[in-house]
Amino acid sequence: MAGERRALYLEARSRPRPVGEPEGYARGSAIIPADPVLVVLLFSTLAAATASAGVVPFAVLGRVPMRALGLAYALASGLMLGAGYLLLEAGLKDSAQSAFVLMSGAALGVLYTYWIHRFSRTEEVEFIPGGEVSAELGFKIVLMNSLHSASEGVAIGAGMAVSLRMGIFLALSLALHNIAEAATLTSVLLRRGVRMGEAAMLCVITNVPQILLAVTAFAVVSAARGLLTWVLGFAAGALVYLVLTELLPGSYKQASHTWVAAAVSLSTGLVVLLKGFFA
Amino acid sequence: MPAWQQVLLVLVYSSITALATGLGALPFLFVRDLSERAVAYANAVAAGLMLGASFGLIIEGSGHGAVQTLAGAGIGVVFILVAGRMLHHHGMDFGTITGAGAKQIFLIIAVMTVHSFSEGVAVGVAFGGGEALAALITIAIAVHNIPEGLAISAVMRPKGAGVLSCALWSVFSSLPQPLMAVPAFLFVEAFRPVLPYGLGFAAGAMVFMVFLELLPEAYEKASRPAVGLLVSLTLGAMILFQRYI
Repeated sequence: MAGERRALYLEARSRPRPVGEPEGYARGSAIIPADPVLVVLLFSTLAAATASAGVVPFAVLGRVPMRALGLAYALASGLMLGAGYLLLEAGLKDSAQSAFVLMSGAALGVLYTYWIHRFSRTEEVEFIPGGEVSAELGFKIVLMNSLHSASEGVAIGAGMAVSLRMGIFLALSLALHNIAEAATLTSVLLRRGVRMGEAAMLCVITNVPQILLAVTAFAVVSAARGLLTWVLGFAAGALVYLVLTELLPGSYKQASHTWVAAAVSLSTGLVVLLKGFFA
Repeated sequence: MPAWQQVLLVLVYSSITALATGLGALPFLFVRDLSERAVAYANAVAAGLMLGASFGLIIEGSGHGAVQTLAGAGIGVVFILVAGRMLHHHGMDFGTITGAGAKQIFLIIAVMTVHSFSEGVAVGVAFGGGEALAALITIAIAVHNIPEGLAISAVMRPKGAGVLSCALWSVFSSLPQPLMAVPAFLFVEAFRPVLPYGLGFAAGAMVFMVFLELLPEAYEKASRPAVGLLVSLTLGAMILFQRYI
């Protein structure tokens, strides 16, 4: 049995890894444009634009219960944890770099996010606040959403550098994640007296860093392939830390522990499962 | 190795994980009472270790069949969900252990004991996944058990229970581990194709326990950055540990 595992492990390690160019970008394909950077730009923009759908429940229902927002956040947490799983799995398959490099990158991602929270003084900000929202809190939540989306951009860029399919899959997962996030942002903005259309626009604007960082991360990793494992680790570490410090505490406050746990497990499992079919 | 020797090995290993729970009472030999925050930190470390172990189980299970592994994980989640619901209906809530009386001592022991069933399954199933994974999971569960014992002791000790009594009740809460490990191991050996389901079950049960019990508890008593750093860094260390064991 141990020998079998060893063989599987060696097989995974010796699998040839594309050097220089990520796999899946067929030149001149009818559906996918030839320029990889354009693909990254398109899909990260799609993920950012999807955030505007966050206002839909408010436009249709008028009010959305806090419990539903808490659960949406739990689902978003799971999508993000699933993305983290995929990034780490891809990083472990990289034969050129050791797992130490991957985990050092992850530690950097965790510490980077920790410092970002500290410097912006958003460590203990309530992400899904109930009741009145002060102008300062509203500003901090918009700020946090923008900073948060930057790390998602790194994840999309790194995923695209692994393979086109993985990049698209990550972009779609994070697009869904963005809807839930935008819904909570919308609930905050509406309470601050922002109009529906403007709220939708702000939801997209807070996700613009995602587009910028996706393209930047992709360009950097394409230019210096050796950095891929570092960037994969960094993105995974940042995403996991964001889930732990921003998303989950808010979910637990607004919805029952059982439902939050069920939603997180379900959406994480779905990402891991669908990745098997898609990427 | 004859099957009975392996069964004995499983019994010994899983008994070690049970005994490790008793170590959680040790700090109380030196400290009169341990702050709630320290228990929350222990919870966060346990959460990181269990998430890391689950990551390994899912990767391992996916080698045998990804869909089966995730189906198993779903069953694991439902298992803990049902167990949690049953306790909930009997008015047993983990979240109120502060200011605990005798009733709450009983409650925490009961909840921890129920948890141990899935941990025992994890140990037993892990033995079906190869020696290295088995040793790893044994260590993971044993280390995870220490803060569990710590949590039990932290409730019992301030109520005037002796350190030895804390340690014994902690070990008691983990006795389902050897009890479940042996049948789980035999089950895995007899039905090799079921292995990915079993690995997934352990992963699902562990992940769900983390999100249902350990993390909410940790958030209540410790700051978010502390929980975030402890969980994510322990998780990373666990993945490295699995890689190089």
